[in-house]
Amino acid sequence: MTKLLRFSFFILGILCIGLIVIPILDIFVTLTAKELVKTIYDREVWQALLTSFIGASLATVLGCILGVPLAYLLSRYDFKGKRIIEGIANLPIVIPHVAVGIALLCLLNEKTHLGSIFAYFHITFVDTIYGVIMALVFVSISYVIVSASIGFNGVDQTLEWVSRNLGASMAYTFWHITFPLALSAIVRGAILAFARSISEVGALLILAYYPKTAPILMYERFEQFGLEAALPVTALVVFFSLFIFVILLSLSRNHALR
Amino acid sequence: MLSVKLRKSLSGFNLDVNFTVSIPSYSLILGPSGAGKSLTLKIIAGLMRPDMASIQWRDKEIAFLPPEKREVVYLPQTLALFPHKTVYQNIIYTFKARHISVDKRYVTEIIDKFQVTPFLNRYPSSLSGGEQQRVALARAIAARPKVLLLDEPLASLDFHLKMNLIDFLKRIKKAFSLTIIHVTHDPIEAFKLAENLFILEKGKLTFQGTVKELFMTASSGFSAEVVRQLKSVFIFCPTHLKALQN
Repeated sequence: MTKLLRFSFFILGILCIGLIVIPILDIFVTLTAKELVKTIYDREVWQALLTSFIGASLATVLGCILGVPLAYLLSRYDFKGKRIIEGIANLPIVIPHVAVGIALLCLLNEKTHLGSIFAYFHITFVDTIYGVIMALVFVSISYVIVSASIGFNGVDQTLEWVSRNLGASMAYTFWHITFPLALSAIVRGAILAFARSISEVGALLILAYYPKTAPILMYERFEQFGLEAALPVTALVVFFSLFIFVILLSLSRNHALR
Repeated sequence: MLSVKLRKSLSGFNLDVNFTVSIPSYSLILGPSGAGKSLTLKIIAGLMRPDMASIQWRDKEIAFLPPEKREVVYLPQTLALFPHKTVYQNIIYTFKARHISVDKRYVTEIIDKFQVTPFLNRYPSSLSGGEQQRVALARAIAARPKVLLLDEPLASLDFHLKMNLIDFLKRIKKAFSLTIIHVTHDPIEAFKLAENLFILEKGKLTFQGTVKELFMTASSGFSAEVVRQLKSVFIFCPTHLKALQN
């Protein structure tokens, strides 16, 4: 690589990092201590953060329960329509999230057949935590499927063969060989899904505005009271999102190193 | 007796193999790349579905059994040691997988015979090629297999290690009364190890017998190439050559 090209890449890299870091830093620079203290004592902010955390956590767990088996099947078996299934698994990434909210509202409101079946079991989705979780699962599950597929593809199939010959059933082989070796990739997918869930607004605006998640609260404060009112909430949400993200990432890295 | 009959068609390739070996014995399938050697082993191990198969161990059909019930252990060229388990955990894996208690006396015997004591608590990635070979074999023997299937087990080793392991394989075959089927494309391995030799070309067995019989009958194809290679190697070992030619 010539010196000029390397220098150009370096400058572009700096610009790229700046594009990400500067707006985030600016939130904290613009913020005054008085506003921050006021926000720290705001119960609604903590409630919204808790809703975000619970919603994103449950959506990630549900996404893993549903997504990991599908990723295993896609990785290990060839079957008719596999390409179509792979495409469908990636759909939530490309569909605008407001459209996701509208689609889920159409499908799950209490006037529909499916909505009424759930309502029979006292589960409704419009403006409830179930709605929050459903929307978050929809927008984040692709990250689990894609990452877990990469993980399973990376596990050498001869390890599974040898395990079977050594007397292990298919299930034992999955839990003791395949799954532990793919776990780092699955955890990375779960972290991405969690991060995607915690930042979701579009689908929640339509399907489950209540209980308010942190991004919804930020949006509401901005709409009703303007930038100054939204800023301290934003700072707190960004701080906690980064905090959780860094912890999860370092946990996954430690696991991968082991 | 172990009797194997199998057929498998893949795109543009037909495997059709039929052979019988005594128990215990060391059999070697020799053939060029793409002859179907590994495929044969995988079908015997139950890891690939054949179009037709009959595998009889002492007149008992085992071809319909799942891989974990066949008591046949396949050892791939890559060795497939479990990277997230220590050497000891690899060796006792078969007991855990079968949900039976670890036979400590037997495991100790294996650990001694395979000389793996110094690295029992290490992970496979920290071992040399020769050490990994010994661990993989120890793990396979721990499963008390009826048949041990070795897929080019010496391919990645240097000459010195290869010769050591050849002696080692002979010793463990005797010590554990094993029936071993070993596939390779190296005639030297055939010369050193084979009690029964099979030559596999394009999915068909073109020779069955001993290395000595091969020397007397080979006239064309891969068999003749094997004889030519052995003659060129043994040009400096006239005693070996004489033993084969007389």
